[in-house]
Amino acid sequence: MWTVLRDLLRHNREFAAGVCLLGIVGLIAALSALSPYSPLDSYVVPPDLPPGLPYVLGTTSRGQDVFWMLTFAIRNTLLFGFIVALISRLLALLIGLVAGYAGGWIDRALMSLNDTFIVIPLFPILVLFYFVMRDRMSWASLALVMACLGWAYDARLIRSVALSLRTREFTETGIFSGMSMRQILTQEHLPFVLPIVFSTTMNNINWSIGLEVTLSVLGFTDINTPTIGSMIYWANQHTAMVAGIWWWVAFPVVLVVITFVGLFLLAISMNEFIDPRSRLGRGMQ
Amino acid sequence: MSGYAAYLLRRVGQFVLVVFIGINISFVVTHATPIDPVEQTISATTAFGSTSPEAIAMMRQSLRELYGLEGSLWQQYLSFWKRVAVLDFGPSLSAFPTPVSDLIGRALPWTVGLLVVATTISWLLGNLLGGLAGYYREHRGLRWAGIVAMGFHPIPYYIVALLLVIVFGHLWPVLPISGGSQMNLAQGFTLDFAASVLRHSVLPVVSLVLVGLGGWFMGMRSLVSNIVSEDYVVYAELGGVSRRRILHSYVMRNALVPQVTGLAMSLGHIFNGAIITEQVFGYPGMGSLLVSAVHAGDYSLVLGLASVSIVAVAFAVLLLDLLYPFLDPRVKVS
Amino acid sequence: MRTLRQAVLALLAALAGFGAMAQELISNVPRHQTLVVENPEGTIRNAGWFNYWAINAGGQSTGLHQLALDTFWYIDPNRGVNGVWDNSLASEKPIYNKDFTELTVKLRPGIFWSDGVEFTSADVVYTVETHMNTRGLRWSAPIQINVAGISAPDKYTAVFKLKKPNSRFHALFTVRWNAMWMMPKHIFEKAGDVIKFAFNPPVSLGPYTLHSFDPNGKWFIWQKREDWKRTTVARHGEPGPKYVAYVDAGPPDKRVIAQMNHQLDIIHDTSPEGMFTLAKQSRLSRGWFKGFPYAHPDPTLASVIFNNQNELLKNRDVRWALALVIDIKAVSMASYRGAATISAIGVPPTGTHPESYHKPMEAWLRTFEVDTGKRKIKPYDPTIGKQIADSLRPSMGIQIPDKPEDVAKAFGMGWWKPDLQAATELMQRAGFKKAGNQWMTPDGKPFTIKITVEGEGRPVMTRAGSMVAQQWRQFGIDASTVVAQGTLNDRRAAGDFDAIISWSVETWGGHPDLSFFLDSWHSQFIAEPGKPQPPRNWQRWSHPELDKIIEQIRTVGFDDPKGVELGREYVKLVAREMPTIPLMAYNVFTVMDETYWTGYPNAETAPYTDPVPNWGNTKYMMVKLKPRQAQ
Repeated sequence: MWTVLRDLLRHNREFAAGVCLLGIVGLIAALSALSPYSPLDSYVVPPDLPPGLPYVLGTTSRGQDVFWMLTFAIRNTLLFGFIVALISRLLALLIGLVAGYAGGWIDRALMSLNDTFIVIPLFPILVLFYFVMRDRMSWASLALVMACLGWAYDARLIRSVALSLRTREFTETGIFSGMSMRQILTQEHLPFVLPIVFSTTMNNINWSIGLEVTLSVLGFTDINTPTIGSMIYWANQHTAMVAGIWWWVAFPVVLVVITFVGLFLLAISMNEFIDPRSRLGRGMQ
Repeated sequence: MSGYAAYLLRRVGQFVLVVFIGINISFVVTHATPIDPVEQTISATTAFGSTSPEAIAMMRQSLRELYGLEGSLWQQYLSFWKRVAVLDFGPSLSAFPTPVSDLIGRALPWTVGLLVVATTISWLLGNLLGGLAGYYREHRGLRWAGIVAMGFHPIPYYIVALLLVIVFGHLWPVLPISGGSQMNLAQGFTLDFAASVLRHSVLPVVSLVLVGLGGWFMGMRSLVSNIVSEDYVVYAELGGVSRRRILHSYVMRNALVPQVTGLAMSLGHIFNGAIITEQVFGYPGMGSLLVSAVHAGDYSLVLGLASVSIVAVAFAVLLLDLLYPFLDPRVKVS
Repeated sequence: MRTLRQAVLALLAALAGFGAMAQELISNVPRHQTLVVENPEGTIRNAGWFNYWAINAGGQSTGLHQLALDTFWYIDPNRGVNGVWDNSLASEKPIYNKDFTELTVKLRPGIFWSDGVEFTSADVVYTVETHMNTRGLRWSAPIQINVAGISAPDKYTAVFKLKKPNSRFHALFTVRWNAMWMMPKHIFEKAGDVIKFAFNPPVSLGPYTLHSFDPNGKWFIWQKREDWKRTTVARHGEPGPKYVAYVDAGPPDKRVIAQMNHQLDIIHDTSPEGMFTLAKQSRLSRGWFKGFPYAHPDPTLASVIFNNQNELLKNRDVRWALALVIDIKAVSMASYRGAATISAIGVPPTGTHPESYHKPMEAWLRTFEVDTGKRKIKPYDPTIGKQIADSLRPSMGIQIPDKPEDVAKAFGMGWWKPDLQAATELMQRAGFKKAGNQWMTPDGKPFTIKITVEGEGRPVMTRAGSMVAQQWRQFGIDASTVVAQGTLNDRRAAGDFDAIISWSVETWGGHPDLSFFLDSWHSQFIAEPGKPQPPRNWQRWSHPELDKIIEQIRTVGFDDPKGVELGREYVKLVAREMPTIPLMAYNVFTVMDETYWTGYPNAETAPYTDPVPNWGNTKYMMVKLKPRQAQ
């Protein structure tokens, strides 16, 4: 695995760029541990100051330092994205592998369920969920709901890989030697599936962060916790763009775009790496 | 064509399943709400006045009867499905007694229009550019187009819409940033109205296209670059067929087919984007209606909107799935 | 490739062409004859419904109750066009009999509906009887509870017989934002079920009729009646604008952009920052005050409302301690950026109240003492309003008034000065102990308070709540905010809160009578914990002295000066008991653009009504507005 990553870094420009961008974002998120201000407090610094010294990215109309707020915001947003991706990967893996391996009516039933979740427009459901939970909605429950809605696309992908793996010789060998389905799935198939899972994880993180930002900006989440979406929400509340406090909106947007592009680059470079035809194609250039 | 009939039946069955599950989820979720529509109405009505407490108690009782909130959850579920079968979602609670279906009916054409236009443009344009980029690999202009398209693709719809509002609202105000049509212009099939609608839809459509373009572009480009190395294409090139003809009849024609499937799979996602974009631009479609219904605590309307969204998207996917076998002769519908 | 390039160029040319086509704001209607106003209701879901009397069905402040409906009397939240009280459909003030069981209303002759039918007592009788016989109309309940019968001895007189003595029954027909409007008998009697009748198009009693509206609910355009002389505003003059358009102006930043482009004449409300931007960049935009704080103080008192049924908050010492921890200057900065009008007493600092309550009680407040258990302190600081003004002067310059009376009017007078030592002593007397940095209740548990705020629905109040929670936190209490967006009304009514930033004090504004809110504070109306509390005693507080004051007010006439004296007794009582912590008036940032119209109400020269455009009282603005070209 590590040699693969190292090679990618060296030879694949997109992968290197993606790692670089995400490195910056990760660093900023980690800096949140050093923040001199609590993220819940307001009016700790003079409000509405443009970027400069000592407030490098300026201050908000609520008297908060944009830079330190951003560290918390991106940390929370990333954390949220990772958790959703993690839980939905588990679900996708479970359903995809089982469906691909078991076949028959189990496969058909699971895939019908899967297609249902692909087709249903998620945003109204999430809004519905907020409508019900309202003020009792916590980040944990939102993450859980989003994870339960976000596994479908990738489960299908994993299933098709599992289908092809089932017909391979080593699978037959495993069955004949008396391995149980669970053992075959985890010991034989999983290593093949993991690279795909990795690249879909990137896309999934993008998707969940995008939805979180959208829901927060509309005020449909707990807006007291600083996240990228809630920073933009508060900026809108204070009509920051019109009042000329552009730095309150610009920097969160820039940072989240860097995150998205970084994750995206990682995803497509992993995809290219996995697909042998494209790898050969690159070799010929 | 009995293979197709079986395929048709299966797909229709899938459609019914999706609709059933989706609407059930919506029903359960809305009825789990802690919001009491009667209390919502009472507080809205008495907010500015000085109504005596006895009057409030009396009002509460009459509203309960009026809204028909009696009966157990199971009874409400059964009567709900009975009504939904004839597309009757009951009266809206925040705009009593106007039926929910009326309200949705006014908003639906706007959303459908936006969606159809934006999806068609981004699919066609994205596939065209992606195909060209995949075939003419050295063309610099196409490479740059690719980078721009891919740059916008991962950005959430909301942010792109926000950026457009900033540019065209603050910096260069030449296009309207809110509303569906000009004020005081009567709705109808007149040239004036059509022009006004067109003008007001430019920014929302551009916003959706910018985000959607990249996905199709990339998909098409990689499909095309795979096909280009196929034997029959190389043979045609060696045989002297014009590049244009190869691109059109050999390459794109084959690459388009999986893109149709891709379209079906991403319709739900695009629908989300349309709703969010409407909210930003104040476009009078289902998105704005949904957000305001949630803020008003009107669960009748929210339930109706969620149901209609699910049915609409599922139906569009069904149509695409049914068309697919006609596009790809290799597919055997057994 | 050439075709591709050509296609791209053609597309760009088309877009540029589109942009170049400057489109007018409204089609078919001249802009300079139109007043464009924001309707804070936003997009009306049920646009084609104008039957105001059915509950919550359509838009209310779409111009409908400002321009098309009318009723007996209006009380102005400020000074009024010709005094605070205006006899509108009535020609005289309400005439009660001696024991307040009968109300006679004399109607104004010569008033006609917009379809040519005259308004007479038959309409009054029809309106009242319909409400008596139908359940579920907006005013069915107050009519059914109060009215035994209605009769019309002649065409211009109506007599109400009441079921029990009620000296303020006329308040039902006195417009303070809205009131019970009159229905046209000749339309409704043919309409069938009142609850299901849409009343589209509406027939107006006011000076404007409906010209056109958007089926998607984004705009409503009203046109001045040709026969405007046959309406009640004609006594004050001719309405200026020929057309008035009420629109959904979108989120706060879009409203500011619209006014900067002169496409929105009156903004209903925006953020303080939006206000400051307009003040700086748009020469012709102005608020209620010429300078800071610009906003119009509505006769609503934003306060920290305690749930007095909560065990820990039942003790007056605890409530006073929490009040003494608050630094109102910081709360003002956090919420309104300093553009707040503070009030220490339980009456909003607006309209005529500063003359009736705030100024006369200054002397009492300065000598008012609180006993902390260890010593007696005088908590009132009369200079806090001035301190806020002084702190803003360096950054805002000449926009901050310097004359003391102007400062008092704009920023408020005094408030309680923060005294952490006294707060500590009060808490200790109540049995609370400090363990390290954390206050513990008498039971030994950490003292936790959650302040419920409304979130995006009321951003300024949410900020105030956050600042109060922060200050309590710094004092050692485990305080935080809870956002109840959309459910605030439910939770407030249910008592599902420890403290909530809201208002339980709302007054007439122009008239000193406090019964508008005070009557509902009587202990007879307090609900059990967990049951819904009827408005407005959200704090669920009762006190035998309060009941006595309320009962006395009920026996006293509306204009009797004794009512004001009783009001002052109420002020002293709530200052001592602190059932809620009054903060400031609800300041609304209504911004008016003088590019097309002049004559708007303002604090300095023309306080003739409330400029906030969703108030029914704004019909008086129409007669004062003149086109700018006429200057």
